[in-house]
Amino acid sequence: MIAIEHLTKRYRKTVAVDDLDLVVEPGVVTGFLGPNGSGKSTTMRVIMGLDRPTRGRATVNGRPYHDLRDPLREVGALLEAKAVNPGRSARNHLRALAASNKIPFSRVDEVLEFVGLASVATKRVGEFSLGMSQRLGIAGALLGDPGVLLFDEPVNGLDPEGIRWIRDLFRSLAGEGRTVFVSSHLMSEMAVTADQIIVIGKGHLITQGSVSDLTAAAKGSVVVRGSDRERLERALRAAGATVEVVNDDALRVGELAAEAVGQLAFDEGVVLFELTPERASLEEVYMALTAGATEYGSGPS
Amino acid sequence: MSAHPTLASVIRSEWIKFRSVRSSIMGVAITFVLTIGIGALITASIRTHWTSHPEAHIGFDPVTTSLGGTLFAQFAVGVIGALFVTSEYSSGSIRATLAATPRRVEVVLAKLAVLVVSLLLVSEVAVFVTFLMGQAIYSGVVPTASLSNPTVLRAVLFGGLYLTLLGVLGMALGWLLRQSAACISVFTSLILVLPIVTFLLPSSWQNTISRFEPSTLGQSMESVSPPAHAFSAGAALLVLSLYAVVLMGAAATALTRRDA
Repeated sequence: MIAIEHLTKRYRKTVAVDDLDLVVEPGVVTGFLGPNGSGKSTTMRVIMGLDRPTRGRATVNGRPYHDLRDPLREVGALLEAKAVNPGRSARNHLRALAASNKIPFSRVDEVLEFVGLASVATKRVGEFSLGMSQRLGIAGALLGDPGVLLFDEPVNGLDPEGIRWIRDLFRSLAGEGRTVFVSSHLMSEMAVTADQIIVIGKGHLITQGSVSDLTAAAKGSVVVRGSDRERLERALRAAGATVEVVNDDALRVGELAAEAVGQLAFDEGVVLFELTPERASLEEVYMALTAGATEYGSGPS
Repeated sequence: MSAHPTLASVIRSEWIKFRSVRSSIMGVAITFVLTIGIGALITASIRTHWTSHPEAHIGFDPVTTSLGGTLFAQFAVGVIGALFVTSEYSSGSIRATLAATPRRVEVVLAKLAVLVVSLLLVSEVAVFVTFLMGQAIYSGVVPTASLSNPTVLRAVLFGGLYLTLLGVLGMALGWLLRQSAACISVFTSLILVLPIVTFLLPSSWQNTISRFEPSTLGQSMESVSPPAHAFSAGAALLVLSLYAVVLMGAAATALTRRDA
């Protein structure tokens, strides 16, 4: 379990994380979502004891990272795939990590085999593709067989086969009762990978909950097409709905359920040609939530 | 069964890192080549011109001259020390290192231990080889020195210590500056530029200041009789060690206080 309490992290004048509270539970895949620059990586670095919080604290299994004994046996992390000395072989990189936490070298070969890098174990990491580096990073995270795993943007650079592999890996790790905390700036990725989602923007917690909670909470809309658009539009507005003209004869109606729209059309004597409830996709929910929380927004289009 | 990562296991980890990159191996090879190669060039040149330059016979030191290669090798060891640290910053692997060993002082101590033991071995072998080779080149023409003389033995032994301590200075700069290029410029300035700047000062100042410069300390340590206005060999070793201790202390403090 990972717990973050009132975490604030300030770099000179920039506030990267602002009074953040969150708990990442074991047994599920928790997606950590936010636009670039929203504070995801900072939060992960604080959890790993790499950056010191300005205020508040982060604990892993109830203890600050600094107090963990043989931390790699409790927490594994993939923070940056390319963060390996390019002149060192994959095996030596992992052996150096293993030695520091008294993990036997046999485990190094096990994880290399597991991530599919056994055949290039003695190759210099500088010659690795981004995808191979990601796999090496994952091998490093799994090295100590830890109960808590952090992955910062793990999907970057993986091919479709690799992406499927990593999703399955997260599922099985969570299935074994481990805490799996995965950051991404892509909602579409998290929608298919995570069970729980935490959304942050500009260092603030925006929302958290299960994937289905988030989509359910999002307001849907109804697309309606009938014989008399103007009469229908007037009636809908009178009933308090938000109405948007889609084209010559179709309207997108908000704040009113499909049943109510149908009833209204019947009362007004408008013949309906189409009545389609539309549920917001998780992507749209995310865009709506993080609008205004993006550091470098592209502005209204 | 999961014990706290003791210093021994962190040292083991750092040793794997040190020996598994080309830069360390190259650095060690260059240290040998510079110490021994330049030593051979200097001694051979002195032998050739010995009889035609009788004025050079006054105050001639067969030990210092045979160790002349250390003047060049000192840059190689400085780079070895600096790169051992800065390569972790340039690649970003420092994060993995500190995540594996959150007690950062242990990382500082482990890297220091690996560097000191490696450089001590390399430097001492290099200085003794170049000394013996130099005396062999001199023999018959130029006066020679022998290791059976305790002062000569001290000068050669301290030559190796000088190189090792300069490697430690390079490492401390690596922790403090985190960038290879910055480190190498500062290190080079300390060794090469500082004496030039001092040379421009009034001579009374020169005499006071120059003895504290790393290169002058090295001359005191490597010669049978130290140059004028310089520290004795023992005092020079002490001063240089003090520099190393203070800079490494600053390095450890910086590492524990800064974000990785």
